Amino acid sequence: MLAAAPGKTGYWNAGTGGLTGKNGMNLPTNLDIGEVPFQPWSKALYEARRADQQKNDPHARCVPPGGPRQFHTPYGLLIYELPEAKRVLVLSGGGPRTWRVIFMDGRPHPTSDDFIPTFLGHSVGKWEGDTLAVDSVGFNEQFWFARAGYPHTDALHLIEHISRPDYNTLKYEATIDDPKAYTKTWTGGHYIYWVPDEDFEEYFCQDNNRDPSHLVGQ
Amino acid sequence: MSRAMRQPMKLRAVAVLVLLAPWLIAQEGHPLKGTWHGSWGVNAQDRTPVTLVMDWDGKSVTGIINPGVRSSPIEKAAFDPSNWQFHFEANYKDRAGAMARVAIDAKIQDVTNPRRSLVGTWTQGDKKGDFKAVRDN
Repeated sequence: MLAAAPGKTGYWNAGTGGLTGKNGMNLPTNLDIGEVPFQPWSKALYEARRADQQKNDPHARCVPPGGPRQFHTPYGLLIYELPEAKRVLVLSGGGPRTWRVIFMDGRPHPTSDDFIPTFLGHSVGKWEGDTLAVDSVGFNEQFWFARAGYPHTDALHLIEHISRPDYNTLKYEATIDDPKAYTKTWTGGHYIYWVPDEDFEEYFCQDNNRDPSHLVGQ
Repeated sequence: MSRAMRQPMKLRAVAVLVLLAPWLIAQEGHPLKGTWHGSWGVNAQDRTPVTLVMDWDGKSVTGIINPGVRSSPIEKAAFDPSNWQFHFEANYKDRAGAMARVAIDAKIQDVTNPRRSLVGTWTQGDKKGDFKAVRDN
């Protein structure tokens, strides 16, 4: 439902769009940045990151794109459903060429005692009609979950809704539930366009980093 | 493979890990969370090493000074993100095991950098000196 039609090829042209603001590819329901319910420390840190032009964004150093970051990492995105394995795979063409597993077999999240926080967390999903609903926890604090630099903590609980309103459009929406960084949950998202009849090129951040502007001062 | 050959390979592996470590384990959450190493002293020669381990529970900063047998819990932690100023106090056990009340006032410098610093003053009894600690990656 979220991949190419049988016998066809193509990929999602991730790379633009964000969780706040209503411009461009963003959802018209997005909050403006001034409406994001930051805690004082996360607001100050977000503003500091913007002020120094995000020069310390870990993503520019090839750290994996956890959460919504995977949906606006340049060089494309593929979503493959594996019904026999009861999994959905989200494959990134950019960054360190990350792949993420969404378990569709009804399993619960592991308890914190059984799980070491990771870049991609632990994701379980289910279909709500034509929308893939994904619930993720277990993130570490070593990445920025969006290009804009919104801070998060290890308490991040992410709820994503991914749908395809038409063949050439993906709608991505994420609800951020992190009570250690925000005073309440908030939601944002964007659209992604389909690139037909092409596969994404081979790109590895570690081999050919094309984001040197964010390595200033390092 | 001989033991003599394995040794340089081990050293190279350690060197690679050390070089990659800053990128692999950078802390991007609350700017005070993590382990900080530094020192305080009344002058440049007379320094006392200090280790801080701190966490953020969503409402307050918690932590300890010098984890181990002489560890001291952080008390009265107050953080002002508008200027990155941080104050805390503790009942601190020195190297001789003597207890002293300490108060630290420091500011986070270069807050977006994973290797950010805490720079300020350390007051211990009637002594007041400078304090600096750098956050581990």
